[in-house]
Amino acid sequence: MNYPQIPKSWNIESKPHKFCPGCGHGIALKALGMVIDELGIQDKTVFGVDIGCSLLAWDFFNVDTIQTHHGRTTPVITGIKRANPELITIAYMGDGGGYAIGSQHLVNAAARNEKITVILVNNTNYGMTGGQMAPTTLPGQKTETTPYGRDVDETGYPTLGPEMVAAIAREGAYVARGTVANLRQLKGFIKKAIENQMAGNGFSFVEVLSGCPTNWRTNAKETWDFIENTMTQYFKVGELKVPGKGE
Amino acid sequence: MEFKARVLEHTKGTWTIYPGLCKGCGLCMAKCPKGAISWSEVLGVYGTPAVESDDKCIACGICQMVCPDCAIYVEKKK
Repeated sequence: MNYPQIPKSWNIESKPHKFCPGCGHGIALKALGMVIDELGIQDKTVFGVDIGCSLLAWDFFNVDTIQTHHGRTTPVITGIKRANPELITIAYMGDGGGYAIGSQHLVNAAARNEKITVILVNNTNYGMTGGQMAPTTLPGQKTETTPYGRDVDETGYPTLGPEMVAAIAREGAYVARGTVANLRQLKGFIKKAIENQMAGNGFSFVEVLSGCPTNWRTNAKETWDFIENTMTQYFKVGELKVPGKGE
Repeated sequence: MEFKARVLEHTKGTWTIYPGLCKGCGLCMAKCPKGAISWSEVLGVYGTPAVESDDKCIACGICQMVCPDCAIYVEKKK
């Protein structure tokens, strides 16, 4: 067999993809690709990527893709959905775009209960610019701009995105947090988020805990340890809001 | 686009690696429950060693699942 086992919706011409070795984006996009294959929605999906490492996914899928800046993926994808409600629209962004500079768009889209799916990859730093402190950097974690560890007295505590979205979103919204260390669970969350949009219930939001070996300066073992043990202590994995089940 | 496959036959299953996709991140090696994966002589896409597995492999498929580049394909023998 000379053809690798990749999801059918992936664009084989652009592989190997441009992410760093060991980047969690590849696993998150693998889960998304498998979901697009399973639901058979490749020809009616619009995929929006944000600025940051997530923009390297601009030629990742064989689906219509748009790239915008600084968290504006959410309003652009909202506009596409409002203009053509038949389409399935997915906004894909990082924690810098979604929680820092573009948090207003995320908050307002959740408050309006827009019928879109947002997938946000959280790697606790700004990966593309060299690993600076992001809103999601853990207390005490060393980054380029916090060489002695993040001081919570000065810079506050990490943003808990899904908890925030679950608090402001109305009934019908789906909010969950998955991790790249558990692909089956993550795939289930993303599938439910897209099915929630297809059913027209409301806003769907999935945060993905991901690794950044390049900027964390970790080897493979330390990367998994940080994702599975350190990150999940602060960012609890699971479903926060499911339609019909209340909080 | 075609990627060259390197097929390794083990007692429990068939383990395939595509060195043209492997970036040598080692995530599969750290996740393997049996410690069956190691660096090989074959080079991957960035000139780093690609991985290979030995006969300790139980064909559980965890390496295939965690590979961000879909460079591994495991088929269990029935």
